[in-house]
Amino acid sequence: MEIMKTLLAFIVLWPLVGFLVNGLGRNYFSKKRIAFYASEQIFASFIASIIVFILIKNNGAQGDITYFNFIHIGKLIIPFAFKIDQLSAIFLLIITGIGFLIHVYSAAYMQQEEQAHYGRYFSYLNLFIFSMLLLVLGANYVIMFIGWEGVGLCSYLLIGFWFKNDNYNYAAKKAFIMNRIGDLGFLLAIFWMIAKLGTANYSDVFSNVSQLSTTDITAITILLFIGAMGKSAQIPLYTWLPDAMAGPTPVSALIHAATMVTAGIYMVARSNVLYSLSEVAQNLVAITGLVTALFAATIAIKQNDIKKVLAYSTVSQLGYMFLGLGVGAYTGAVFHVMTHAFFKALLFLGAGSVIHAMHHEQDIRKMGGLKKYLPITHITFLIGCIAISGIPPFSGFFSKDEILAAAYAHNPVYWGIGVATAGLTAFYMFRLYATTFLGSFRGTPEQAHHLHESPSAMTIPLIILAILSVVGGLVGVPESLGGHHALHQFLSPVLLTEVKYETTHSTEYMLMGLSVAIAATAIVIAIVTYSKKPQISNSTGVGKLLENKWYIDELYDAIIVKPLGSLASFLKNVIEKSGIDAAVNGVGKLVNYSSRQLRLLQNGQVGGYILLMVLGMIVIVLIWVNDGYIYRFLMNLFFAK
Amino acid sequence: MNAIILSALGGIVMMFTGIFTQNKIVIKNIAIITLLLLLIGNLLHFYGIYMLHVDVKDMLQFNNFGLFFNTIAFTSTLIYFLLSGTDITKVGINVAEYFALIFFVLCGVSILTSFHNLLMLFLGIEILSIPLYILTGADKKNLKSNEAALKYFLMGSFSTGILLMGIALLYGASGNFSIESVPSTTSKVAEMANSSILTPLGLLFVFVALLFKVSAAPFHFWVPDVYDGAPSVFTSFMATIAKAVGFIAFIFLFESRIAELGPSSRIIIPFVIILTLLIGNITAVFQQSVKRMLAYSSIAQAGFMLFVLYSNNDISSEGILLYSVAYSFATIGIFAILIKMKDYTFEGYNGLAKKEPLIAAANTIFLLSLAGIPLTAGFFAKYYMLLSAIKANGQNALWLVIVAVLFAAVSVYYYFRVIQAMYFKEGNPEIATTNTSFKVILLALAAIIIFIGLFPTVVLNFLYF
Repeated sequence: MEIMKTLLAFIVLWPLVGFLVNGLGRNYFSKKRIAFYASEQIFASFIASIIVFILIKNNGAQGDITYFNFIHIGKLIIPFAFKIDQLSAIFLLIITGIGFLIHVYSAAYMQQEEQAHYGRYFSYLNLFIFSMLLLVLGANYVIMFIGWEGVGLCSYLLIGFWFKNDNYNYAAKKAFIMNRIGDLGFLLAIFWMIAKLGTANYSDVFSNVSQLSTTDITAITILLFIGAMGKSAQIPLYTWLPDAMAGPTPVSALIHAATMVTAGIYMVARSNVLYSLSEVAQNLVAITGLVTALFAATIAIKQNDIKKVLAYSTVSQLGYMFLGLGVGAYTGAVFHVMTHAFFKALLFLGAGSVIHAMHHEQDIRKMGGLKKYLPITHITFLIGCIAISGIPPFSGFFSKDEILAAAYAHNPVYWGIGVATAGLTAFYMFRLYATTFLGSFRGTPEQAHHLHESPSAMTIPLIILAILSVVGGLVGVPESLGGHHALHQFLSPVLLTEVKYETTHSTEYMLMGLSVAIAATAIVIAIVTYSKKPQISNSTGVGKLLENKWYIDELYDAIIVKPLGSLASFLKNVIEKSGIDAAVNGVGKLVNYSSRQLRLLQNGQVGGYILLMVLGMIVIVLIWVNDGYIYRFLMNLFFAK
Repeated sequence: MNAIILSALGGIVMMFTGIFTQNKIVIKNIAIITLLLLLIGNLLHFYGIYMLHVDVKDMLQFNNFGLFFNTIAFTSTLIYFLLSGTDITKVGINVAEYFALIFFVLCGVSILTSFHNLLMLFLGIEILSIPLYILTGADKKNLKSNEAALKYFLMGSFSTGILLMGIALLYGASGNFSIESVPSTTSKVAEMANSSILTPLGLLFVFVALLFKVSAAPFHFWVPDVYDGAPSVFTSFMATIAKAVGFIAFIFLFESRIAELGPSSRIIIPFVIILTLLIGNITAVFQQSVKRMLAYSSIAQAGFMLFVLYSNNDISSEGILLYSVAYSFATIGIFAILIKMKDYTFEGYNGLAKKEPLIAAANTIFLLSLAGIPLTAGFFAKYYMLLSAIKANGQNALWLVIVAVLFAAVSVYYYFRVIQAMYFKEGNPEIATTNTSFKVILLALAAIIIFIGLFPTVVLNFLYF
């Protein structure tokens, strides 16, 4: 227990120290030192996380680890405590492990930045890891919320990292504001819990859940889910994530693919006790996830920016995870978080490698034929594409299959839409792959001349992630395929087991075969269509609709932003100017006016003064002669009983 | 007893000093040393060490509360001497006499913090007032100073008349001068008159006379003219030490007898408080001269101190001490700077922060304290007064507190005008040269104000040691 307490403190504090040191010393340290120090801090946390994981695996989870009382007001006590169990241990590994790889990758990718900005970049990254660790380690919703806000802040800072570009700043603001909308829901959920139960500790909330009425549970879970919608980019709060691609590519890989956006999944999985008790909330989660998955996949088909395709793909995959949560496949969702972290980080870093080689060109229409120039990037990217498409035995297959199987048991329609989405996913991923790596090069000769494979600091993380993308699924091989689902057993103390559905092995085989067949067909079509004749011109009809992302941004602008803007200008020009300002200035004018009048009493004549004093005395004596009559009169007037 | 004897002796010493030397610096230093002795003598009283044993026949009674106020008054005077001592010597040629008169005022203060008899109250007020009349006219060749002195004297006499009338009525009712309520039927006057009316009417007259001394409305008319006309260094003294003691006299007299005024006291006191706050704050807004603004602000501050009569409980007694400290220290500091200025208008302060950053900073702290901004002593002073009103028994005081806070908000306007002039306006203020020790003492004073603003209980703990 004591070992655990110390270990966890160090795991969290190392990145924080890294943030402080690099943040304060960014003008003094060399780039090499900054990169080394930042990565080394995360590596230390990673090693400690492995030890923690092994301890948990062997000894099982223990109670909360309290450091001090964070808030103590009246009866409400919110401890600064960590909860380390199987679920948080897995997230620890993902965050610090992938975090470390991305730190290493960034050291090379960001090499062209100035020294001070380089230091700023790494200090933000460390701060992000710190906040993310707080988020998953917190033993109550308040600590989670601190981490939740911290990652939101870092996301904002890193999206707007190149702050000289105004569009990037708008993207950063958009992300922050969209997240704040979700945060409001999260906050309200916390308040609701505290109001009803007087505590926000996971263990206390879950063990006292019987004290809550169904309405309370539904309200709390839906409010929590609104928070998750913002952070994990679900409809209707997803539009910030594609714009967030304005940040440096490693940031997109770390924050906007592997870790931060899965915070919503973590939160819902953590609260699985509550969600299982609310049918309404579960259905809401499942349908939102399903719609988002399909919707984002359709948009991804027509995007031409390499990072945008990946961004919409992330939104779509997050939708899958929520579908899993909604149908009660908590383990499946967490499993998909893990495999998705591997292959999506891989894809983003691969895209980063391409962008690096192309000198910050992101439009895939100007690429093509990169296969021979970037061999390592090509192979690893291809592995990522296969993994995300769900082709066995790559990792994506197992996690996606688990979610789809649960969805089928819940409602075959869910399964149908899910499989269609899987087909779309395979299609747009291989469209991306074919347009980028196959065919002939379509860029300028200047670019062609400079094409080169990235340095080893970038390719090694790619290779590691590629290996993980291939074998990562093996921890969750279902029984029907002769495995015994190690992950499932590992997580069973934390996550409720899905006993709701029973499918025979033969049904499972059929489902798997069908989804694999659809994915494979989509891959073939995509490669055939786009490797020779990639689409260069703009689309028309439905294609145009998709290319413009269903005009959702424009829709939001018209129905939310514009009315709010006109309301604001009404308040500013009418209410503020002629209401509040007038009142404030009026009081000032009144005081000034009375000042001028009262001043006249002071005329300098002693006789006049004495007269006024005598009058004052007479008034006082008159009040006194009334012997309390006026007092009683006034009291009756104002405080009548 | 020590304080009364020593301050009277100090006055005499200073008068004789004037015969033997004309050296202003020597005179000033002797005054400071005498004042230190007075301060020590007063502190010794706490430990029961007396210079003389005089049987005062219960006419005077000493308690920690009064002695502590003496300490505050003497300390304030010491700071005042240190900051403005040189300026006192510049008012005219009879330097030693100014110091002597100040010591006599302190003698009056000492009596007013220990009287237990109406005669002593009268004596104390007169001993306090007469030197002030003279100090007001100290600048003999200045017409304004002379006019102010005459006005002060005339109106002061008027109030003394009221005081004597009140004392006479009280004597008539009870047959003695004790300030305690002694129901007596032995008095023939009382038998003849309707005795029930003599006591409250007498108290009411004394009440009005004291209101005059503490410059509460509607008996404040002398204040702006006198404060404005008097030499600035003496205004500083008048507005602080000589005024705060009026409230102590109020407490001694009315602590137990306020009820005898009858239920109407519950409307008379809020009436006076609101009128004082209104006239003080509102009129200050339009003033062009900082000195005159400070005169009105001193009326406004009196409005807050009057809460001590309204709530009349332990918190208010502690609060009035804290208020005296906060108000006296800040006002002495502001006046010490004002005296150095050539132009007393707000424009005269324009750009002071650029020319004398330290002085401007200290001035800002003093002004913030007067305005009652947190982290300064003035905040807790106001806080305690308002708290006492809320906690007062059986009185629904919330509305009065709200009114007071609103007027405090108005006061921010005119205090901040000075800060605005110092920091945000361009100008070339003419300020007399100041030496380092002046600045050091000024900053120390500002530091004390902030310290009290952080740890107000440090001051109050003195009361119980």
